[in-house]
Amino acid sequence: MTQRASLLQGTLDLLILKALSTGELHGLGVSRRIEQMTGGTFAVQPGSLFPALHRLEESGWLTAEWEASENNRRAKYYKLTKAGKRQLGEAAEQWNRIALAMAKALEA
Amino acid sequence: MAAIIARVASVIRNLTRRSRIEHDLDEELRATVEMLAAEKVRAGHTPDAARRAALVDLGGIETIKEGVRDVRAGAMLDTLGQDIRFAVRLLLRYPLFALTAVLSLAVGIGANTAVFTIGNGLLRFSPVAVSDPDRLVDIGRSFDGLPIGFNPASYPDYLDLRRRTTTLEHVYAHPLFPKDMTVESESGTEKVVGDVVTTNYFSALGTRAAIGRLFLPEESDAQGASPLVVLSHRYWVRGFNADPGIVGQTVRLNRYPVTVVGVAAEGFQGTTVVAVDLWVPMSMVTFVTGSTPGGLEDRRAGWVVMGARLKPGASIEQATADVAGIDQALRSEYPDQSHPQPFRLLPASPMADKMPLAAAALLLLGAIASTVLVIACANVAGLLLARASGRGREMALRLAVGANRSRLIRQLLTETLLLFAIGAVAGIALARAMTTGLMSLLPALPVPVHLSLVLDWRVVALACSLAFVAALLSGLAPALHASRADVSTVLKDEGHGASARLRMRSAFVVAQVSLSLVLVFVGGLFTRALQQASPTNAGFDARGVEVVSIDASLGRDGDAASPSIARDLLDRVRHIPGVASASMSRMLPLANEAMGMGLSLPGEVPRPGALAQTPGSGNIVAPGYFATLRIPIRAGRDFTDQDATGAPLVAIVGEAAALRFWPGEDPIGKQLIVNGGSRPGASIRVVGVAHDVRYRALDFGTVPYVYLPLGQHDTSNLSLIVRSADGRSVAGGVRAAIAGMRAPPQAVSLQSLDDLVAVALTPQRVGAFVAGGLGLVGVLLAAIGIYGVTAYTVSRRTREIAIRTALGAQPGTVVGLVLRQAISLTAIGCAIGLVLGAVAGQVLSMLLVGVSPLDPATLGGAVVLCVVVVLAGSFVPVSRVMKIAASDALRSE
Repeated sequence: MTQRASLLQGTLDLLILKALSTGELHGLGVSRRIEQMTGGTFAVQPGSLFPALHRLEESGWLTAEWEASENNRRAKYYKLTKAGKRQLGEAAEQWNRIALAMAKALEA
Repeated sequence: MAAIIARVASVIRNLTRRSRIEHDLDEELRATVEMLAAEKVRAGHTPDAARRAALVDLGGIETIKEGVRDVRAGAMLDTLGQDIRFAVRLLLRYPLFALTAVLSLAVGIGANTAVFTIGNGLLRFSPVAVSDPDRLVDIGRSFDGLPIGFNPASYPDYLDLRRRTTTLEHVYAHPLFPKDMTVESESGTEKVVGDVVTTNYFSALGTRAAIGRLFLPEESDAQGASPLVVLSHRYWVRGFNADPGIVGQTVRLNRYPVTVVGVAAEGFQGTTVVAVDLWVPMSMVTFVTGSTPGGLEDRRAGWVVMGARLKPGASIEQATADVAGIDQALRSEYPDQSHPQPFRLLPASPMADKMPLAAAALLLLGAIASTVLVIACANVAGLLLARASGRGREMALRLAVGANRSRLIRQLLTETLLLFAIGAVAGIALARAMTTGLMSLLPALPVPVHLSLVLDWRVVALACSLAFVAALLSGLAPALHASRADVSTVLKDEGHGASARLRMRSAFVVAQVSLSLVLVFVGGLFTRALQQASPTNAGFDARGVEVVSIDASLGRDGDAASPSIARDLLDRVRHIPGVASASMSRMLPLANEAMGMGLSLPGEVPRPGALAQTPGSGNIVAPGYFATLRIPIRAGRDFTDQDATGAPLVAIVGEAAALRFWPGEDPIGKQLIVNGGSRPGASIRVVGVAHDVRYRALDFGTVPYVYLPLGQHDTSNLSLIVRSADGRSVAGGVRAAIAGMRAPPQAVSLQSLDDLVAVALTPQRVGAFVAGGLGLVGVLLAAIGIYGVTAYTVSRRTREIAIRTALGAQPGTVVGLVLRQAISLTAIGCAIGLVLGAVAGQVLSMLLVGVSPLDPATLGGAVVLCVVVVLAGSFVPVSRVMKIAASDALRSE
């Protein structure tokens, strides 16, 4: 269970970074974007999403700003930092290596 | 400027970020719920149902918050831990830097803490002894135009004030000074310090009895009505072995029987720093003290200070206005009896007799200590800046890889705070030593003084907040500066940022040099003042002279016997082996007392609007006074035993008086009208002229002075002055002589004149030691600063210097290049220091007797000292310049 959680945490961070790579989004937007990107495979629970967003912000990969949302409400928008973009690149590369290795291993 | 404010604000925001995070999180979740609900409304839900569904979708809001808080708190702790670990590593890597910074901080914080400890003891009552001390006030007459200190008020003043006040309750009174008394009991005779208080004294203070009872407010203050005494706990233990049976017994106080009614609570020592042994009611004042100067009815005779408690709801401002109103009313009701000074009301404090000397010394110490702290901060700021310059590259790199700026500032501030925390701990330790040192500068006081100098939470809190403020002040500028590092330029070279840093650092060095110069100069001025105010310069010779204060009215045969008692005592003392000469006087030189006398010439008609009399001072002395104190008599003769009652009235005048009244004439044989002594207004013949002597250490000039013979004027409070032939103490013989008299007077204290004089010069002595000592420390710190700046310049210009050397520049030229900077910094610092020093000298001129506040020798000396020490600091780096070879140019980058 813990192993799965830690795997999921890495996955979730990567998904969030990826979701934000096309532009800034608020928390709910990140959640919807991930659902859309994964074809509904991952539905991120708010209980995991918000701590993860704040953790990434604390690590300096995201910055957040209060802005007006699409229907004119104030919402907190997250955006990738330079460090976040670099991290997305590294994490994606690492993920691809692992995925490739896993696929090879399972095909063998 | 605006940019700096914005930066400071961002740093402070970081410090308060916890509450901001909470607030943001609330907002974020609320917005999310609203957006979820909006989605559901679009999907066809009613608004209410949509909102409920949104909340369900979100799950437990508290759980989410917990999750976020954990993340945030963890991150904060991590950062803090990282910062501290990093800071410790850095400090250990540069031990010399750390040591210098911590030492200068310890000196700065320690000096302030020591002064505060003493001030705390002087200004605050221990709440153990006095309940709710913040509501207590002291009332007296204001002191010679000074903002602090009290002149005594009269007893009728007290009665009127107590009757008329609307803002005060429990108004009590007691003499300005506690009295020396003797107690005879079954366990023997002992000399004690006693206070005479109105019977409401103890209830006003809200103190309790340890055993027995204290005086009750309803007991009468009418003379002779209540022959009672309350003992202090300390005296009860010391003199009566803590015997509870003492209550109800009768002891003889100054030979007058009084009944012990109780013992005050442990730790209660009255309302001053003088440790009082016992209290008697005001009804006993004429019995136990023999005389009240001016008595109980004279409105002009000041001898009491008052205290009171603010009525519930009354503020100190209202009470001040109330008291001022009463003063006005009394002035119009008794126009010819009014006191020259108005009433003064201050928050109550145990400060020694509310004397301005103690306050002046304390203010002076505070000012010096603050200056030292500023110097220390400038020094540390300079050091931090120097180090920041070494780390410019590191900062730029960290910014380049995406570290955020506020994080860098926080990191730099953490380092500074750590440094200051260590400085604060060292400072508190040093403060203990400094407090002891300062107290040892105080002379032997004639009364037992007990001052509570504990390291309480107030002192520790002060040291910590000083350290914190100092850290912010000296850490912020370098931190902002360092973190502003511009990535491109710093990575290329130490360019523009470096020269700005050098400017800032030079400013710190200039500040250090100038403030140190001020301290050294002030220390020098006090040293000069101390020399000027020494007995030799004050016109007499105190060495080998012992003084016994006696109350001649307390002879066993009753009062009015002073001339005969005095003559009898003097005869005996003069025959003691080892006594060279002996005399008696009402006043002593440099004892800070004055007996005002109005002087005028017979037949002199005052100009309209001018004073009818010239204000002067006087003394009542026995024959031999001038010889005993070695005060030269310039003309005429000394008093003799023939100058007694019935003989023509005579006087000896000081030189200033002679010059004032008979310029260019021989004053001997002239007549002078003296308003003072026992024959006010009588015309008196001048028989001698004495060299002027300074009686008050703080007198600006020498006032016209008149000596009257003891044989023709009564006074009960006298000092017996004895000069020994060989400098050895004759105290034992004097005591025996007094005890052997048929009617021995009350002998109350025996001291050397040197000790007595030392009391008067305390502020000057403390000022000289503290300002001088700390000024030297400041100069050394400034030397370190100059060293740092010069060394930095040398390292920056190594390449340039090497090239110049290679091209054939003379060593002198290159050295001059570097030395010019050190010299100009020192020169600017000295120039500013001279201006500040002149201002400080003016401010302190009251304490600087006989010294010009711009004393050229002292100024010159201070400047030379600063220049030499500070330039010595640049010697090492400058000598390094000589060794720079052409090849260094290649290696330096």
